Amino acid sequence: MKKTQLGALLIASAVALSLVSVAPTATAATCAKKTTVTMLGTIKTEIQDQFLAAASSYNKSQSCYTLKSIPGDRNITFLQNVTPKYAAKDAPTIMYDLQFIPEMADKVMDLKGTKLAKLTTKELLSAGNVNGKQVGLPSTAEAFGLLYNKKVIKAAGIDVTKIKTRADLEAAFKKLQAQGKKSIHFSAIWWSLGAHFTNMFHTTAGKDREARLKVLDSLVDGKMDLSKNAAFKNWLATYDLLKKYNGSPANLTDTEYDASIAALASGNYGFMFQGNWTEPNLMTAAKGTDFGIINLPMSNDAKGYGNDSIPVGVPGYFMIDNEQSTKAERDGAIDFLTWLYTSPQGQRFVADPVTEGGMGFIPVYKGFKTEPATSMSRDIAKYVNAGKTLDWINSYYPGGLQEEVGKVSMQQYFTDKISSADLAKAIQDAWKGKAKTWRGEAA
Amino acid sequence: MRKARSLKKFMKFAALPLAIFTVVLVVPFVNGFYYTFTDWDGFKVDKFVGFSNYAESFADPKFWTTLRFTGLFVIVSLILVNVVAFGLALIVTSNLRSRNFLRTLFFVPNLVGGVVLGVIWQFIFNSAIVALANKYDWELFKQSWLQDTNKAFWALIIVTVWQSSGYMMIVYITGLVSIETDVLEASQIDGASPLRTLFAIKIPLMAQAFTIALFLTLRGGFMAYDVNVALTEGGPFRTTELISLHIFQDAFGEGNFGTGQSKAVIMFIVVALAALVQVTISKRYEVQR
Repeated sequence: MKKTQLGALLIASAVALSLVSVAPTATAATCAKKTTVTMLGTIKTEIQDQFLAAASSYNKSQSCYTLKSIPGDRNITFLQNVTPKYAAKDAPTIMYDLQFIPEMADKVMDLKGTKLAKLTTKELLSAGNVNGKQVGLPSTAEAFGLLYNKKVIKAAGIDVTKIKTRADLEAAFKKLQAQGKKSIHFSAIWWSLGAHFTNMFHTTAGKDREARLKVLDSLVDGKMDLSKNAAFKNWLATYDLLKKYNGSPANLTDTEYDASIAALASGNYGFMFQGNWTEPNLMTAAKGTDFGIINLPMSNDAKGYGNDSIPVGVPGYFMIDNEQSTKAERDGAIDFLTWLYTSPQGQRFVADPVTEGGMGFIPVYKGFKTEPATSMSRDIAKYVNAGKTLDWINSYYPGGLQEEVGKVSMQQYFTDKISSADLAKAIQDAWKGKAKTWRGEAA
Repeated sequence: MRKARSLKKFMKFAALPLAIFTVVLVVPFVNGFYYTFTDWDGFKVDKFVGFSNYAESFADPKFWTTLRFTGLFVIVSLILVNVVAFGLALIVTSNLRSRNFLRTLFFVPNLVGGVVLGVIWQFIFNSAIVALANKYDWELFKQSWLQDTNKAFWALIIVTVWQSSGYMMIVYITGLVSIETDVLEASQIDGASPLRTLFAIKIPLMAQAFTIALFLTLRGGFMAYDVNVALTEGGPFRTTELISLHIFQDAFGEGNFGTGQSKAVIMFIVVALAALVQVTISKRYEVQR
């Protein structure tokens, strides 16, 4: 009884608030009452300070809302963080995630028709769309592939634009070895193997998205024999090549991430399989050396599908709670996100390089005045403008799959504990019976 | 009348702790038990599903391998922690001049939180030992112990022993100093060797301390979580996941809240039975004076 009264009171005050905001006033920034909008964590820890600076700048820019980031635990998954908050009736208003979007779909707002949704593309919105409901808004675009240390590559006389096939890549690896350098730092980090490296197979398994999703369908139905799949065989050959030329000992624990960045920055390695999110850390560690990104060839055919493209995707989507928040909180959440991506002030926080206090994001909304400033961002922008991008099929992976595959079979194959046939079977088993969220099935 | 008064007296002292116990332990436990019979997804309950969560848990091969691994971990850690702790207790109750200093030294690891401890030892196993091994050519340590299932198991054991021996040592010290000196003096006069004194007099007279220490290490072994998460993260290949971590991963990592919860209930029954058996057996050896 008491609860419903409180709820009614909240609704009443929300109605009152929205009435106030409708009332015509000369300055839009007058509010009856300041509303605190909570966000679970930040976008990611690497750029946490920059994000918090953006939030405090937003809080100063208007007097209606206060954006407050409530700390999450980055060692546990998004779902692990958010379920206790929902159970305690203390759900954050803004949430940011990729993997558990299907799980959250019925609890968050439909963002279709918001200003931001209109400013971006259907492609970028797609992984945040569940059954026609726009569950999330994209934050940025990220890419992964072969990162390289420009100084080392130049000294070895390698032209990265000429690397189109697996054989080309092996030749480049050999040139590096001839220079006394190590060819590649290939990390056994479970999420790198489980999400990004497996994506290299899934994204080249079909020439259009429907064909790629059909591969997922047949894996779920248990009808796929990976050992007979041409794309899978090619993927395995690339996997073996990287393993063969890997210059670093296998490290299966999380300390590997920092170690890999230090390795590429040190100038002892030519390449690394990672994503552009490491660029700020690389530049800090190497004190300014430029790093670039190229495709990872998946076949020996220079015209083979995907060999001239890199996987570009949205690493996470903003979601806004629709179950435990007030109308004012939801309005505030939308107001903040709109400010972040459309106001000149917010855009600088989004796109400025990390060294200048920004988050170094590649803009995914129209109307950005700020150009990407770093070398790797420019490389990615080039791929995007030329339409040479591959899907992040890993956005469709069911919750827990990248852990199961990445922490077990992929790391086992990496350390020669299982054969390629075992790996194929393990991946098939991991997919069998999972929910086809890409076909609208409930997670 | 008398009963009402004693109840009043009881409530005066126990009402608050009892209320807290109910709110933070009994209620969540009953609630969790209820969830095992539903399709709970972490957010809401739609319908009752009977025993299907339990059936699914038992059908999960991962659950069995984890249980076996946990069982092995409990047995080995139980033995080693208690042997080491008892040895330490003997050292610090001897006539050594540095015994007070040693007492503090042995207890200190217990004051470091499990997660911090795990991270420190992860660095030791992953980087420090490997670097030394490469320099001095120690074949056994050249590859990080955390990369290999069997060695990672021993790494877990080493850290657990290092962490909890100090605490169990205190329990054994209490047992050792509670033995009346007249009995010890009598045995000395009778010409018993120190070893004979230990096995024939000290150990039987302090059997109670063994009951407590064994119970604590048994429970600690089954419940181990923080060191597991921070040291091995369940790796390599998720082969060193202890039961608590497995339950956590099942529920929160993969979103299987129903089976995760029912595995936790099964776990509770296993631990309760194991502890009951252990305490019953140990009690038999206690000497009543």
